[in-house]
Amino acid sequence: MKQGSLAIRMSGLGGQGVVTAAHLLGGSVIRDGKCSTVNPFFGAEKRLAPAESYVRISDEEISERGEVIYPNIIMIFHPHVITLGKSYTMPFYFGLKDEGILIINAEKPLTLTDENSEDLRILKAKTFYISANNISMDITGTELSANIAMLGALIGITKVVSLVSMQKAIEERFGMKKFVASGTTAALDDVVKSKFAKVSQLIEKNVEVAKKAIEEVKEYPLSSNIESRN
Amino acid sequence: MMAKKTVEQKIVDPEYLFFEAKREKQFITGSEAVREAVKRANVDMAIAYPITPQSESMHLVGDIYAEGYIKDYFRGESEFAVMSSVAGAAMGGVRVFTATAGPGTLRAFEMFPTWAGARLPIVCDFFCRGVNSPLTIQPDTIEIGFMLDTKMMIFHAETAQDLFDMTLQSFIIAEQPDVHLPIGVFADGFFVTHTREIVEIPPDDIKLPPYDPYKSPVPAMDMETPPIRQMRDPFVMKSNFISYASHASWQQEILAAAERARKHIHKYLGGLIETENEGADILIMASGTAVSQAHEAIWQANQEGIEVGLIKFKVIRPFPTEEIKMIAKGARAIIVPEFNISGWLAKEIRSVIEDNSKVVGAPRVYGGMAMPPELIVEEIRRVAR
Amino acid sequence: MNKGIIEISPGFEDVMPREYIDLVNDGPYGRKLGIDDLGTFKEAIEEHPLCAGCALALALRLVLASLPAIEDTIIVGSTGCSSLAFSQVAIHNIHSLFGNQNAVATGLKRALQIRFPNKTKDVVVMAGDGAIGDIGLETVMHSWFRGENITTIMFDNEIYANTGGQESCMSPKRAVLYMAPTGKKFPKAAMPEVAHAAGCAYAATITPASPKRLGKIVNQAILIAREIGSTYIQIYCPCPTNFKFKPSESLKMAKDRVKDETYLIKEYFSPEAREFVEGLEKGGGN
Repeated sequence: MKQGSLAIRMSGLGGQGVVTAAHLLGGSVIRDGKCSTVNPFFGAEKRLAPAESYVRISDEEISERGEVIYPNIIMIFHPHVITLGKSYTMPFYFGLKDEGILIINAEKPLTLTDENSEDLRILKAKTFYISANNISMDITGTELSANIAMLGALIGITKVVSLVSMQKAIEERFGMKKFVASGTTAALDDVVKSKFAKVSQLIEKNVEVAKKAIEEVKEYPLSSNIESRN
Repeated sequence: MMAKKTVEQKIVDPEYLFFEAKREKQFITGSEAVREAVKRANVDMAIAYPITPQSESMHLVGDIYAEGYIKDYFRGESEFAVMSSVAGAAMGGVRVFTATAGPGTLRAFEMFPTWAGARLPIVCDFFCRGVNSPLTIQPDTIEIGFMLDTKMMIFHAETAQDLFDMTLQSFIIAEQPDVHLPIGVFADGFFVTHTREIVEIPPDDIKLPPYDPYKSPVPAMDMETPPIRQMRDPFVMKSNFISYASHASWQQEILAAAERARKHIHKYLGGLIETENEGADILIMASGTAVSQAHEAIWQANQEGIEVGLIKFKVIRPFPTEEIKMIAKGARAIIVPEFNISGWLAKEIRSVIEDNSKVVGAPRVYGGMAMPPELIVEEIRRVAR
Repeated sequence: MNKGIIEISPGFEDVMPREYIDLVNDGPYGRKLGIDDLGTFKEAIEEHPLCAGCALALALRLVLASLPAIEDTIIVGSTGCSSLAFSQVAIHNIHSLFGNQNAVATGLKRALQIRFPNKTKDVVVMAGDGAIGDIGLETVMHSWFRGENITTIMFDNEIYANTGGQESCMSPKRAVLYMAPTGKKFPKAAMPEVAHAAGCAYAATITPASPKRLGKIVNQAILIAREIGSTYIQIYCPCPTNFKFKPSESLKMAKDRVKDETYLIKEYFSPEAREFVEGLEKGGGN
């Protein structure tokens, strides 16, 4: 990727909104006047099956496409990506660039193997945790907005897009009659919408989720992780 | 059954729709680009059968049928049946569209040379995916290799923009009376179909002129032309010399029709290939999303001070033989990155250039593997040494 | 079809072949003709290339004479003996591939409905037992499930005759044939019942030994297909070449098989089709 550009890999499980999150992020980037391409990658459309999506962001036109092999940022939407290897790449941080960022959805920092911790230390990776499910549950009464919390965490850490643009992207995504990602995504959309009395409420609550996540995301220095186990 | 609603759209010249109408930027997926193309193509009928990664595009075509942009749409029972029904519809004299992918392409395969042989101007999008076995749904362009000798015209889109333009323009090229052949517009599954990117498209209140079956070089099967001993497809089964000769000359005529398409391809697609820095010592020749990866690789190579040119194939059939022969003369090495195991593009290039030892058939990834630009850079470094 | 399109341009009368001139002057187009009129007009088929004594050739001749509107009928055929005869038929006809006939017919019929919304264009599938019962059963049955407005006519010679005599699903049980060297192991497929269960508004079997009845069945099947949905006719066409009897005995074979009930004459109507046919018989229809 050219300088000033950013490649993000989102790894999660089917039904968590990994693809939706990527589309929302791409939409926000475009709103901010930059270039972006969004590329989901999944096997059979099944809930809890591995799902990944990739977002490229740049000031210039983007040519490269497909899977992001060397991301600057990796967002892990579910601990099982790490603990059960539900991922297209093993280990989960494979290809992360030096001084890259990891954002993990988990209630508390995960215990990584010594090998993984050592690799991440060599990469000078910055690791952040966010309890996206809890934030989602507290505000919306469902875990279906965990993906929005993950995006909030990303904005909190990197300011890669403005919250205003993200809000607009959410409005467009759920306000529009139809959004195209995949057949099953459309079915899940109806589930998400059914959890809220009105679309305006859905949008409002999701923006609240994003704001809360911006505040709550925390960095955990890897060294402390290793020290605590030693 | 036929749609009850119809949407009013103004019929405009193809040239106006393609080149003059003001275009608006939209951030959409490749599948949505297909919907937008079909919406403006004045398609009479579309027939669908589900297969990943094609399904979204044909769902969306179904949506515009429900909105009244298409007169008839239904789900067929298999790809073979769909491609057969599409043939029946085209013989009935309507403009028809469908799409498939990988295993669907192979399931329907017997129909493709039949479309060409029957001179049917069908436009079909193919969303390239690996074929079994083992099972895969991921991008792989192997099916283009299988399709090369079907006598269909083959276009290969790199981006959602290409997919939009090529799908729309294919109807006009396919239906030229001196061509009248099917066109397959191929795009790499997921990398194009499911990727959201900026696509510039003209307004949706205009559309192409309708298909006129009476300009066809072969009659529509509608009992509105003299029916005396008139049958489709060409049928020469009697075992005598004249039947063999008819079959042979008919096949030559199909190839000749594809040759005659070149001028229309130049007019509407701006040529069979696109070139950047074609005088460079080292060239990359690619089609589909391998071109995207090559772009990035060339940028990286430039950072290392290596100059590399790029030839993008937009059209594989008819093959840009003369163009490639000429360009290859000045090159020292030609790198051909491909998303398939057979390396059909490298073989095609080798078959037309004088010194085929220049061709480096690498990198090659398949079965859904990604092609990081770094793999192409490695080949560039190797030949630059 | 406007009859004007087949008329010979002035000055070309003496260069056109005799056969064409006969079709223009005395052909079946736009005339209400039937089985009873055979021998009094120029028929739409001539000089078929099928074997001596071929019952299929006779059946095809009878079918063509029974079409309610031959000038607006398009035939979709399939690979097999029958396809060899279609090049001798003076109406538009398609031979696409082996077994895809009902899918082709589906697309064709719908295309013609789009192009000619105020005109009737009959699409009739005519194919053999291999094309309909074996290799093409998927496209046949799905056209029935969807209730496509087409008539499917099976020329049932109980064998792959065009390829030299192999077993088909319609061959009688125990028949010793190519690819069934120790005799066919399962009975003749129950296609009329399959058609009925799959949603055909009308399904019937017949032989060319009953030409009048055949004419009536074909005519009403096409009229039902126009108004209601899919229809199926199965015509037993004994094959003297492959079943090794005298060419002169084809009709006798047809009669004998019906008589000894080894070929069953059947007729199934949907309630709507029954009502429609009763309306026709009262003189209310076409």
